[in-house]
Amino acid sequence: MKPDVRVLVIIPAYNEEGSIGDVIRNIRAVSANIDVVVINDGSKDLTVEVAQAAGATVVDLPFNLGIGGAMQTGYLYAYQNDYDIAIQTDADGQHDPSYIPNLIRPIVDGEVNFVVGSRYVEKTTYRSSAMRRVGMIFFANLIRLVTKRRVTDPTSGFRAADRNIIRMFADYYPVDYPEVEVLVHIARNGYSFKEISVEMSARQAGRSSITPLKSIYYMVKVGLAVMISATRPR
Amino acid sequence: MDFFNIYSISILFSIFFVIFVLSLVRRRKLREQYSIMWLILGFVTVLVSLKTNWLEALATYLGIYYAPSLLFLIALLFCFAYLLHLTLVISKLSDRVVRLTQELALTQRTAHQEQEQESDEKLSAKAEGSVKL
Repeated sequence: MKPDVRVLVIIPAYNEEGSIGDVIRNIRAVSANIDVVVINDGSKDLTVEVAQAAGATVVDLPFNLGIGGAMQTGYLYAYQNDYDIAIQTDADGQHDPSYIPNLIRPIVDGEVNFVVGSRYVEKTTYRSSAMRRVGMIFFANLIRLVTKRRVTDPTSGFRAADRNIIRMFADYYPVDYPEVEVLVHIARNGYSFKEISVEMSARQAGRSSITPLKSIYYMVKVGLAVMISATRPR
Repeated sequence: MDFFNIYSISILFSIFFVIFVLSLVRRRKLREQYSIMWLILGFVTVLVSLKTNWLEALATYLGIYYAPSLLFLIALLFCFAYLLHLTLVISKLSDRVVRLTQELALTQRTAHQEQEQESDEKLSAKAEGSVKL
């Protein structure tokens, strides 16, 4: 990794004391040149203490903003502290930090503005539920319809952004279920993205926040947001 | 004439409503910008209660047989419009609260960092001093 490139990993965390320590230590084991910022989204457990003990910078939101608001805080931090690349990763340990060099390489090489770690570019060991696959196909087709680009893993939360994207996200980031909308937003603003293959494991601790009712709201909300964004002037 | 008929009651109620809204504004409980819609509503109700034949005439003109239903329609449309306006206000407020919360958390983080640096410098200054002694 080039030492002159300043890299930040953003980890939004809500009640993740069980997994966040290992996540931070694993990232720091990959490279000492990577800074880690944990955005504590109003956790009621020891997330802040565990993250600080593991050596991360912690930005402590006074109450829960939800994933979009927390993630944007991380991008604001990256923008204000002048980072070259911002990586976002989940606090539950499903993203393997050893892929970070692969994830940022297309940005370091100046190839694209945004990189998404995908479970499905190549055949990996990750297996998902039928409901999840249905949602995935729906979102992938939606993105292809609006942006004319092929995406295999539109909801992946393992991503890397260059300076342009950091500045754009600091200004606007969707409030809830942001992953799909963000890809459309990037394409509509004339920036490029690509997927690289990564392995993902099942979450270490905590529970997925997606319930059947929420997943219907997820699809409707994101579908609406994407269709409307397609009508906005560039 | 029976004083307590529906018209006089609605006039009294409307006048009371307008006075109540004005007093809310006076006590700074309600912003002027949001009071205007309520005041208009109050005056329209007073007017309609005083001049019932105006409503009847408008209803006849529009081909509505039962005049009060025109009143219901107008009231319903007013409510919908105002609810939409309120959700607009809420959306703007939510966006601002999110941004303020983010800026607050980041500013606190910076302040905390500076404080730590300062105390570190003081400690090292003290250490240097002790070496000199």
